[in-house]
Amino acid sequence: MTRNMGFLLKTFMVSIVLLVGCSNGDTEKTKSADTGKEIVYATSKDINDMNPHFYSGSMPAQGMVYESLVENTEEGIKPSLAESWEVSEDGKVYTFHLRKNVTFHDGELFNAEAVKKNIEAVQSNASKHSWIKLSTKIVACNVLDEYTVELVLSEPYYPTLVELSMTRPYVFISPKNFVNGGTKDGVNGYNGTGPYKLTEHKVDQYAVFEANENYWGGAPKVKKITAKVLPAGETTFLALQKGEVNFVFTDDRGANSLDVEAMNQFVESGEHQMIQSQPMNTGIVVANSSKSESPVHEKAVREAFWHAIDRETISKQIFEGTEQAAYTLFSSNVNYANVELEKRGYDLEKAKKILEEAGWVIGNAGEFRTKNGKPLAMKLYYDVNSSTQKTQAELIQNTVKRIGVQLEIIGEESSSIANRRSTGDYDLLFNQTWGLAYDPQSTIAAFTSKSSYYHTTRGIAQADELYKKIEDVMVSTNEEHRKSLYADILTIVHKEAVFIPITNGRVTILAPKNLQGISFKQTQFELPFERMYFE
Amino acid sequence: MKRLQNVWKDKVAVLSLSIITVTTMAGIFAPFVAPHDPAEVHMELRFASASWEYLLGNDHLGRCVLSRLIYAIRPSMLWVFVALLLSVFIGSIVGVLAGYFRGKTDAFLMRVCDVVLSFPGYVMILAIIGILGVGFENLIIAFVLMKWAWFARIIRTSVMQYTESDYVKFAKAIGSSNMAIMIRHIVPVALPDIAVISSSSFGSMILQISGFSFLGLGIQAPEAEWGMMLNEARDVMFSRPEFMLAPGLTIVIVVSAINYLSDALQVALDPKLMTSTYKQQGLEAASTVKLEGKGVA
Amino acid sequence: MGSYIIKRLMLSIPLVLIISFVTFAFIHLSPMDPAEVVLHSQGIPTITDELLAQTRAKLGMDQPFLTRYLNWVASCLQLDFGDSYITGKPVWSMLGPAFLHTVKLTLISSFAIVALSIVLGVACALNAGKWVDKSVRGVSFFLTSMPSYWLAALLIWYFSVKLDLLPTSGMESYKSYILPVVVITISYAGIYFRIIRSSMLSNMNEDYVLYARACGLPEKKITMHILRNSLQVAISVFCMAIPIILGSTVVVENIFAWPGLGTLSVKSILSRDFPIIQAYVLVLAVVFILFNTVSDIINAALKPKIRDGL
Repeated sequence: MTRNMGFLLKTFMVSIVLLVGCSNGDTEKTKSADTGKEIVYATSKDINDMNPHFYSGSMPAQGMVYESLVENTEEGIKPSLAESWEVSEDGKVYTFHLRKNVTFHDGELFNAEAVKKNIEAVQSNASKHSWIKLSTKIVACNVLDEYTVELVLSEPYYPTLVELSMTRPYVFISPKNFVNGGTKDGVNGYNGTGPYKLTEHKVDQYAVFEANENYWGGAPKVKKITAKVLPAGETTFLALQKGEVNFVFTDDRGANSLDVEAMNQFVESGEHQMIQSQPMNTGIVVANSSKSESPVHEKAVREAFWHAIDRETISKQIFEGTEQAAYTLFSSNVNYANVELEKRGYDLEKAKKILEEAGWVIGNAGEFRTKNGKPLAMKLYYDVNSSTQKTQAELIQNTVKRIGVQLEIIGEESSSIANRRSTGDYDLLFNQTWGLAYDPQSTIAAFTSKSSYYHTTRGIAQADELYKKIEDVMVSTNEEHRKSLYADILTIVHKEAVFIPITNGRVTILAPKNLQGISFKQTQFELPFERMYFE
Repeated sequence: MKRLQNVWKDKVAVLSLSIITVTTMAGIFAPFVAPHDPAEVHMELRFASASWEYLLGNDHLGRCVLSRLIYAIRPSMLWVFVALLLSVFIGSIVGVLAGYFRGKTDAFLMRVCDVVLSFPGYVMILAIIGILGVGFENLIIAFVLMKWAWFARIIRTSVMQYTESDYVKFAKAIGSSNMAIMIRHIVPVALPDIAVISSSSFGSMILQISGFSFLGLGIQAPEAEWGMMLNEARDVMFSRPEFMLAPGLTIVIVVSAINYLSDALQVALDPKLMTSTYKQQGLEAASTVKLEGKGVA
Repeated sequence: MGSYIIKRLMLSIPLVLIISFVTFAFIHLSPMDPAEVVLHSQGIPTITDELLAQTRAKLGMDQPFLTRYLNWVASCLQLDFGDSYITGKPVWSMLGPAFLHTVKLTLISSFAIVALSIVLGVACALNAGKWVDKSVRGVSFFLTSMPSYWLAALLIWYFSVKLDLLPTSGMESYKSYILPVVVITISYAGIYFRIIRSSMLSNMNEDYVLYARACGLPEKKITMHILRNSLQVAISVFCMAIPIILGSTVVVENIFAWPGLGTLSVKSILSRDFPIIQAYVLVLAVVFILFNTVSDIINAALKPKIRDGL
């Protein structure tokens, strides 16, 4: 019996030793980030599938590795992989002259053939990309010579270049990485043309990007960028403090892993700097107008909700003044968005009156309103990784309670919220417009897309009219006509109060003080890491 | 009841009992005890430190931390107690039936218990929340669903001893109905055992449920709960560590008091309860049962 | 012994079947249409009825329930649990590594718990009633009443921030193991050391001890006898502790950002990634049953009486 036990104990100990042994296998990087040379940024989610023609990967990471034909900048569309281009008279044929001597990370040459293969790979999976209207207009992609390629559309489409400049899907991966002649069954490598190449990826732990020394725009100065997966909040805070990471920024879902106050604390301590972009987008609450069983279906309820949000307090207390209160879906500096719209401010009395008039009555003070026995109760979903969203949700919950609205707030992972948005399984949820490069055309095009705001807009009175106008505006070639259509569209959604603006969001970066050249792109989804350097 | 008098001699037990009583009362009469409305938002007082008006300071929405702590007694302790009562109630019915009737009823009920107990409790609670969605009700439902079998198991063992006793045999002989015997003769004598068993898992249940709320799987805003308050404090854990203190200490004090009192009760009522379980059931069942109940949050 | 092992194994088969059935039914209790979710997870914006029907067929959802169950069991046996709703990756490719990480943490913690509980349990039993016993019991009592996440936060604050000795989170070197293992050990050792202590104490009052004393055996030898008998209890208890700890590292993993099952499961619940939750429940339930079976067999090997009882 004693022998038995001795044996058991021995086995147990041996297995422990073995386990500790293998765990040492993935021991390396205990050393804190070498702030002299590399960037280690915190991200709350793994970079995920880096296939550039899919949508589950991390956009800032994809932005480092892959590039598009053209780039959207403050001054308009600029060359990127295409040096120049021409558009035919009828607006249907785009001819691109490609940059020469560009290679993919695996050494493959980037040429017209590669462009054709990639575009065809995207088109062969059309149903996935229908949100980007260009995918429904491309008829053919022809190789004219080694470095010239033409794109043939079914009809003129004015945002063509803008959509080609987006982070995905019209970016290029080495055709050698194709599986089954395309990308829709996955890819066997992640070789793009971008300034950084993915060299190591440990799922849910970290991913390493190293500088592409052969980058056509010159080798980036920061040689190594690591994306480290850390839960938002205190873990990131500590990792920053201990130097395990040295860089955080607003992620592609608009969430900051640190709140403003914590960031200010780092700035005060002297090792870090905080840099903010110009206002990029609008933080909004999206109301599901098509959910007929929920009170949110009613315009009056949405309007009252709009009036019940104290944007000034949110801006001042939660964002400490870094984000300004927003009263329209797009701020007036966005193209076509300078439209006269009624300002609905924070006004609880007015909100009560609107509800009263719509038949939502209240019994005793402190109770919730009802109409025909149905309670005025709704659910608001927020990103569980964003502490500012949570605080906003709690504040809104509190103020709407004062007008007799019962609001349940539910924190979920951002992917789950995206799922809710596309299945229509929500009353209200936090969201943001897509940023300068995408506003207004892509965000507005997304009003009709099931994966985006279809459920938001479907239930409003003028839905069909709205959809018609959106369709028209995208193919309209007359600038004046376009302007008036956009004005109509924005007026309709504003009147219906389906997109309830809160603040104008920015991209915020917290970086080591000696990191220079920090700038932003026209989108909140990417950062130009290749322009940064340490001093 | 004489045995209970021993408990009175133990000063720590008396202290524990008074802590529990005071907390319970404060929870029940929270609206009268709490200095402020726990949901009252004062954004301008965000993260204010302690003052005479707000004794424990204000949280991230400027709400009164003390008032929230007091209101939190309801879900963190009183509702957990209800969940405990519910699982003990179901467990008692099953346990008494199985222990009294023996034979096929016993075999069947115990197989059901075995199946429930063979699921890893924590994992199943997560799974149930996964299906039903996050929320306090669902959490409580999940706990009751997973816990009753454990109580049924132990209560059955305890009931079996009494079924063998002479007065039960006598009652059967004079033709009392089974129902009457169970209610009149079995339940009253088994009650102290049941009390000890359930009190011993009260503390760990409070810890577990607050743990789920801490993970964000339990109670949802704006309700206050200790685990949830710690979760909120966690966001500012290093810039304002003092916010971790109040809810954390409250849990430690209350759970210590409950555990101590439960131990004292056990010694007073039936010092051999656990040992006798061991002997009759075979080691493995008893220890599974014991461990399952003592899971730690 | 052989026949006992076979009997015991046979008993666990129906359990595994029931559990697999419950977990299978589980995904059908969820309010979402798996086909729709799969399409959404692939980021497909406009879902046509045609596409939906196609996906349903691809997922085998047009077949009768029982057929689907059998197919599912067959693929589970090959560790094919389908694809995650959120990332689209095979579930096992996410669950497998996480499982390994949690197992590492669990085994190391169990070892620490065994060591600590035996040392403390024996020390207290031998000095029952003296100050060692009292103070150890007092401290352990206090520690088991602490929420583990609170304890973890305090330890991180002190050792990682104040003293800057240990990493705050993640799983990078052997140092990363220290704090999580300490927290789990503190949470559980309090319980197990009490079991060892009381089993030592009850052994001390057994007849054989009295007899040995009467025969004049040296006290040291008697103690060894008691220890040996008590260790049996300890072993069986620890066998069962492993699966329980395996299933309840959730909170600790979460606070230390340990890339294990606990972190994965909470994330999956918050993103309603049902295939992962399903596989997580199934895998852990099977492991749980396996460990229980093994520990029963070990017990039987140590105590022949139990063998006859079955």
